[in-house]
Amino acid sequence: MGKTITIDPVTRIEGHAKITLQTDNQGEVSAAYFHVTQFRGFEKFCEGRPFYEMPYIMERTCGICPVSHLLAAAKACDALLAVRVPPTAAKLRRILNLAQIIQSHALSFFYLSSPDLLLGMDSDPKDRNIFGVMKSKPELGRGGVQLRKFGQRVIETLAGKRIHPGWVVPGGVNAPLTQEKRDLILSWIPEVLEVTLKSLHWFKQNLENYREEIRTFANFPSLFMGLVTPDERVGYYDGKIRFTDSLGNIVADNLDPANYPEFLGEAVEPYTFTKFPYYKPMGYPEGMYRVGPLARLNLVDHCGTPLAQQEWVEFRSLERNAVLSSFHYHYARLIEILFCIEHIEEFLNEPDILSTHVRSTASLNNLEGVGASEAPRGTLIHHYRVDEQGLVIWANLIIATGHNNLAMNRGILQAARQFVRREKLTEGMLNRVEAVIRAFDPCLSCSTHAYGEMPLQIELRASDGALLDEIARTP
Amino acid sequence: MIRALILTCGNPLRGDDGVGLQIAHSLAVGICDPDTEIYSQQQWTPELAEAISRADLAIFVDASVAVAPGEVRAQPVSPDSSATDSGMTHTCSPSGLLALAQLLYGRTPDRSYLVTVGGQSFDHSDQLSEIARRAVPVAKERIKALLAGVSFPREEANSRTASS
Repeated sequence: MGKTITIDPVTRIEGHAKITLQTDNQGEVSAAYFHVTQFRGFEKFCEGRPFYEMPYIMERTCGICPVSHLLAAAKACDALLAVRVPPTAAKLRRILNLAQIIQSHALSFFYLSSPDLLLGMDSDPKDRNIFGVMKSKPELGRGGVQLRKFGQRVIETLAGKRIHPGWVVPGGVNAPLTQEKRDLILSWIPEVLEVTLKSLHWFKQNLENYREEIRTFANFPSLFMGLVTPDERVGYYDGKIRFTDSLGNIVADNLDPANYPEFLGEAVEPYTFTKFPYYKPMGYPEGMYRVGPLARLNLVDHCGTPLAQQEWVEFRSLERNAVLSSFHYHYARLIEILFCIEHIEEFLNEPDILSTHVRSTASLNNLEGVGASEAPRGTLIHHYRVDEQGLVIWANLIIATGHNNLAMNRGILQAARQFVRREKLTEGMLNRVEAVIRAFDPCLSCSTHAYGEMPLQIELRASDGALLDEIARTP
Repeated sequence: MIRALILTCGNPLRGDDGVGLQIAHSLAVGICDPDTEIYSQQQWTPELAEAISRADLAIFVDASVAVAPGEVRAQPVSPDSSATDSGMTHTCSPSGLLALAQLLYGRTPDRSYLVTVGGQSFDHSDQLSEIARRAVPVAKERIKALLAGVSFPREEANSRTASS
């Protein structure tokens, strides 16, 4: 008799979701569904607003990665104005984006996932949180605090606020960088570089402890997608879209993000509010691809900064071709933190970084604009249409987490088949299924995230609805 | 070292929830002591523990639904490691932050206080209610007294309203 297991809510992710596992007559997990149970509606309620408000409306989508939405929205508005952003402004936007990636990755790795990595998947859930990490290994906790603080301080120093900043405007940024602020940010860099290298060292030393998770956490062939620059580096701020396969072959390259409807389809399913983007030429759901840190490090042939390059070489040597296990999103995140710190330092030392020419102005020149950049979790696309008065008449967002939706669902199924036994449910089983999702670091919404505050429950039900087994995590 | 750290939090788009930020803004104009730092954030997060560990005096300022609208209450707070057990990563309590400071950096301020202002309306608005607005100068006086070395006991006797 088939049964349904529900994990609701999924904890230590950004937003609200639940997981349903279906077992077949033999008791094996036969299907898995990742339900995003909240609805935001930003595309709809921005209709009628002036386009120049979009960066500040859209950044409210998220409290963790508002800078990503701010940038993608501003870039879509740049396209509406048909302006060329001054080079210094583009660099300042890039620094802001890199800082955002650092603080978001630090949150994901140290606050949300390090409890699993340090304390173990089967440890007491009461202690399996960042504070448990701080008690068990204070230097790791301090490192997480320091890196997140660094990212937030850079954002605040540049843009005035840590969360939901302004500063980025259509056409550039609204104020140049001062020498005092540049020197201040530069002074923080040696310490955070050291912290990152220590954290990487610790993580690599412990990889052997997670052999089973590496083998079963969304470890399968797929396409990878992301932005790549003309010099073959990851395009965190801009670039052309590249798809590669699990053998490392380039499937498609130099795709203009503005033409995304030509190569990206967006499917919907009745059990979730998250869309299922797919690579159109391969159809749905065969066109599954992954984005974000793991994908980005798989897409390119070099990393681009000295220390991150060394780590990237070691990372890519994990497998002959692309690194396929989604467990390694964690590893990739740490390497990206290193890259972002080094890259911020590079930009701050460029001779024109203090230039005061940081904004181009124009009237409305196009009635349609697309903006794309790499958010911490992957490629983010904002697409707006406006009327002759510049009022938004239509908007579409493809969020990084959405790109990974097909892969996350398949990853849950893979992990559940490995770890969930219907005869007896355990908290450790539950946590491993959740941990697959956590590896992707989905950002469903940041408005009400509070792990440990909500009850977590798995129910094992017969196909007639009868409750066969149940475990609950209480706050 | 920081002589005094004033930490305010709140959402300026949710009516009286933003009263702490309003107090911070008002204090920033009047306090010229370079050893006093004011942090205004939407939420208190674990990253603040480091700065807290370097302060001699920490004053947390927040809106509250637990006290009467317009009432200003100042009370000492102590580290409480149980306040960290919930694992909240987006927001922390003052006692949890003090515990974190002790845990991670081995030090807490000599004195720590929580100043709360009772809010009346937390609906969508960028304006304070009249009663919360009138409580702002009262809270400022309390904070200035704390900065001057005055201590407040834990009892409710130290609570005041804008009209008292």
